[in-house]
Amino acid sequence: MRLPFLARTTHKWLALIVAIQAVFWTLSGVYMTAVHIDIIHGDRLVKAATPQLVAMDGLIEPAQLAQTTAGFRSAKLDHQLGQPVYVVQTTDGPELFDARSGAKLSPLDEDAARARARALFAEAGAIVKSELLTKAPLEIQTRPVPIWRVEFEGAWHPTLYISPRTGELVSKRSDLWRTFDFVWMLHIMDYDDRQDVNNILIRIFTWMGVATAATGGWLLLYSFRRKRRVRKPAAKVAAKAGA
Amino acid sequence: MFLIRTLHKWFGLVLGLQFLLWALSGAVMALLDHHKVSGEHALLPVAGLQAPAELLPLARVAQAVGQPIQKLQLKPLYDTYVYEATTPAGVKIVNAVTGQPVAIDAGKARELAVARWSGSAPPRSVEYIDQHTLETRDLPLPIWRVEFADEERHALLVSASTGEVLAAKNDTWRLWDIAWMLHIMDYDDRQSFNHPLIITLGTASAWLALSGLILLFRSFRRSDVAWLLDGAEALRRRGR
Repeated sequence: MRLPFLARTTHKWLALIVAIQAVFWTLSGVYMTAVHIDIIHGDRLVKAATPQLVAMDGLIEPAQLAQTTAGFRSAKLDHQLGQPVYVVQTTDGPELFDARSGAKLSPLDEDAARARARALFAEAGAIVKSELLTKAPLEIQTRPVPIWRVEFEGAWHPTLYISPRTGELVSKRSDLWRTFDFVWMLHIMDYDDRQDVNNILIRIFTWMGVATAATGGWLLLYSFRRKRRVRKPAAKVAAKAGA
Repeated sequence: MFLIRTLHKWFGLVLGLQFLLWALSGAVMALLDHHKVSGEHALLPVAGLQAPAELLPLARVAQAVGQPIQKLQLKPLYDTYVYEATTPAGVKIVNAVTGQPVAIDAGKARELAVARWSGSAPPRSVEYIDQHTLETRDLPLPIWRVEFADEERHALLVSASTGEVLAAKNDTWRLWDIAWMLHIMDYDDRQSFNHPLIITLGTASAWLALSGLILLFRSFRRSDVAWLLDGAEALRRRGR
């Protein structure tokens, strides 16, 4: 078998299997590189936190929380809606307390979650809908439930996820992120969870991609040299196809 | 079709090497177990600790910190409870019982790293990092880098301001990171995949792949699949 023929045949047969995936790889790559990752992450959807000094007077003591909260691990003094709060971590998950009265605020109701989402949202749009999810959707699959989902009016369906246990922002999503996640799925060929970059399909296809690229390079050796001998039959074929 | 073949050829000539590198680096990243790459197995969960009954009251904490406080956290730091205060002048840590400042020095960093290290090899070196390196590029500085004497050369990166173990890096990650650099074409920082070079070459290789796909429709003749057709024909005859 002549070498140019072998190169062409292997390239052709490999390409028959990987061509569509190669188109997916490159097109998804273009999306992921062209849309800046900060926009994908939705950094502009939420206001930057302005540091606020804590006035210690009249706050309940962390010692009190440590003694009265079962399974106490840690406590963080922070501000939510301008009010001092404690986010307490326990062995059974987090809880939220009013830092002045010591009253337990978690789990937050719908109004409290909406108020926090609205205070965080950096754009002008109003809330379209809010709901308490008890099963995590794919776009926040690794996050604990239940969780408040608050969707806003605005470009690309901006959505904030607020934890009812801490009152804090857990995730921000928009259609740009959702598109990224979809093309990421195509890129890594994990069609279930979109997380496993070591699945057997991607391992096989990447090496076939390597072989396709390599045989393509090999084929280039015969595609530019020896103009007369190679070009003539090719021209004849083209003329025939055109006729 | 001749035009597409010519374009495919020339695009292949210009982009071929990068296309091969993308495939190769992608294949390497697909082979390297991402649990090992992330270093998650190198870290033990933070050990449980009972909060002491005698905790410093807030007024005394404010005194001990000596700076206006923006955020305050009461948390376990390995074997002691501490207050971690975020101030305009940075993070300050004080012992939650005595109010004594807790310095994250080389010895403390080593202790904190060993407490979280899941392996059995001892630490080999402790190094202070205040200029970004490839390993610390996504992490807030300064950092204590505690390297262990295991085969994978694990390094636990301990925040010099909070004492938290921020990440674990190992040789699997270091190899992965080279593939990542080649894949995203950011040869200095290995960080950004949103730059003009990769967008341009990515778009061009999308055409390379697409033109290849189009060419497939003209590249196969009956003789290419004769074995298949003949086999099917033979089966059909036997069926009769």
